[in-house]
Amino acid sequence: MRQLFLIAFRNLVTHRRRTLMLGGAIAGVTMLLVVLLGLLNGIRSTILESATTLMTGQVNVAGFFKVTAGQSAPVVTHYKKVLEVIRPQVPELDYVTERGRGWAKLVSDTGSLQVGVNGIDISNEPGFRRVVQVQQGSLDALTEPGTILLFQEQATRLGVRVGDVITLSSYTLRGAANTVDVKVAAIARNVGLLSMFNTYVPAVTLRALYALNEDSTGAMMLYLKDIRDVPKVEARLREVLPAAGFQLMDKDPRAFFQKFEVVNREGWTGQKLDVTNWQDEIAFVQWTLTAITWLSFVLIGILLTIIAVGIMNTLWIAIRERTREIGTLRAIGMQRMRVLAMFLVEALSLSLASALFGALLGLLVCALINAAHLHAPITVQLFLMREEVHLAVLPSALLGSVLLITGCTTAISLIPSFLAARLQPVTAMHQVG
Amino acid sequence: MAPIVSIVDVYKEYSLGKTLVPALRGVSLDVVAGEFISIAGPSGSGKTTLLNLIGCVDVATRGTVVVAGRNTAELSERELTSLRLNTIGFIFQSFNLVPVLSVFQNVEFPLLLQRKLSAPERRKRVMLLLEQVGIATHADHRPSELSGGQRQRVAVARALVGSPQLVLADEPTANLDSVTGEHIIDLMKELNERDGTTFIFSTHDARVMSHANAVIRLEDGQIVGREKPLGGAQAAGMH
Ligand SMILES: Nc1ncnc2c1ncn2[C@@H]1O[C@H](COP(=O)(O)OP(=O)(O)OP(=O)(O)O)[C@@H](O)[C@H]1O
Ligand SMILES: [Mg+2]
Repeated sequence: MRQLFLIAFRNLVTHRRRTLMLGGAIAGVTMLLVVLLGLLNGIRSTILESATTLMTGQVNVAGFFKVTAGQSAPVVTHYKKVLEVIRPQVPELDYVTERGRGWAKLVSDTGSLQVGVNGIDISNEPGFRRVVQVQQGSLDALTEPGTILLFQEQATRLGVRVGDVITLSSYTLRGAANTVDVKVAAIARNVGLLSMFNTYVPAVTLRALYALNEDSTGAMMLYLKDIRDVPKVEARLREVLPAAGFQLMDKDPRAFFQKFEVVNREGWTGQKLDVTNWQDEIAFVQWTLTAITWLSFVLIGILLTIIAVGIMNTLWIAIRERTREIGTLRAIGMQRMRVLAMFLVEALSLSLASALFGALLGLLVCALINAAHLHAPITVQLFLMREEVHLAVLPSALLGSVLLITGCTTAISLIPSFLAARLQPVTAMHQVG
Repeated sequence: MAPIVSIVDVYKEYSLGKTLVPALRGVSLDVVAGEFISIAGPSGSGKTTLLNLIGCVDVATRGTVVVAGRNTAELSERELTSLRLNTIGFIFQSFNLVPVLSVFQNVEFPLLLQRKLSAPERRKRVMLLLEQVGIATHADHRPSELSGGQRQRVAVARALVGSPQLVLADEPTANLDSVTGEHIIDLMKELNERDGTTFIFSTHDARVMSHANAVIRLEDGQIVGREKPLGGAQAAGMH
């Protein structure tokens, strides 16, 4: 009924101060929620983009090779044969890249660093150029054997620049100590946790370090045309590969470097394949997301509670002030439900308008933060997975925030509204105020 | 003619903590349609209580109250509300207009609740009532911009707009000066004579009382008399 909106609107305008305070609080919480969700989604999309290029394919076929039961290497031998099995079975495939995997010590004149070393074929890594922002040198130089890509933080710790030579030192598959000298070809911007433990060398260089043959790699990283097909493809590969005679490890949703301990404890030797998806491989960063999510929701929860008390209080006061008005309306024939609706409409209009305003404000704040290119402190970068604070607001998050806040505040205002509806019409006759 | 209000041996007790306060003690009363009745009595005699029972905003402790043929004790909350909406108009001592609505919107409100008339019909009806009470020129004003007498005129219009059979007014003139109060009573009388709407109002004021067809005297929760008031000439002589 139009008149209820009119009464609600006019009452809100009449009590301007109260309305502005409450509306401001609701708008503030909505804004905060939008910004937090933007931050979370920013991190999530960065992780998705960066991690699925730097650390993992969307679906990976990798594995372990064991010379003895207690000594494993993240190696797939005869990988070309495996690929021959995979390709015809995965029509969803966009492209596939091979990555050598290793763990080595980097030694420079002034320092040393224990890192993961990835063997890549840069000409076959279309995603790489999108994600890695080279600050010094060039990615093209990585086509030359005996080169390495470092991240800023690593270069600083080693005290090296592009053109300097450092030594990679590790043990071959058979347990012999081995070293390879590499020239720093490029230094890239940090990408948080992902750049802490990763360096990239040409695949040949990695094979040289581990004394592996041409037909060995660390992982085949599959990129699909549609990332939503991942579970389907993963399940299919888990059937197809054993059927083709390959031994397959049981599903273990963790990153490959978290599996050494388990693999080393098992009795088998030789080659076993492992099929994982991108979420498994970045499970170790997932907790940061979970932590931020929880923190955000606890914060929002506390703020919502404060708002709830504010709303209850305000409506409570409003109802006490309007006791006689309500009694009068009840006396002249307004049903209880109408009274309830009258107060709900008031609460709803206030919440909805404030939440919408807050959401727009949040959007603006996100845009401003993104435009400001805020440089995050190094510890924060670890969680952000990039150097700058980046917020990405999804339309669904925007809508969800508005609905959540409006829903909560309106639900809370049900309580005082019910009390208003229960007021007796005789109160209209009481001579107060 | 069947009475529009029929009260038989009604008792009403309020509980104040542990003690029971008797407000009405065995009241019986018939009001026929078209009457213009005043309820008189000293403070605390039960005038408001009686009007509340007739107005279906309160229920009797004992006895029967029949309004417009309906026994109020047998009606649900919803039914009582719609009985009030469609058959009873209220005029309050302190006007009780909705402050955020204009004069027009205040008077239109019962029609919106009744949902019987279309918007143009409502407009016509409201303007007619506003003209009858002489406040049509203030249709777009807020109640706060009006004097007490003007507000009570608006309240009279609101009480009558839904074409009730019965209008109840608890001390409608108590917050007005005596001249304005008499104007309001004259207005009510005029509408009573024009449309035959039944009016029951309570008052302390003898001059206001004198406009009534009948005065019901309450004392200590009991009706002690029902009489014709002093003639118009005598009432005029009291000025
Ligand atoms: N809600 C209530 N709770 C307790 N007692 C009440 C209540 N309402 C009225 N009473 C008592 O009932 C009796 C009748 O009250 P009522 O208000 O009907 O008198 P009244 O004739 O309208 O008086 P006044 O002229 O002062 O308005 C009084 O003794 C009053 O104290
Ligand atoms: Mg009274």
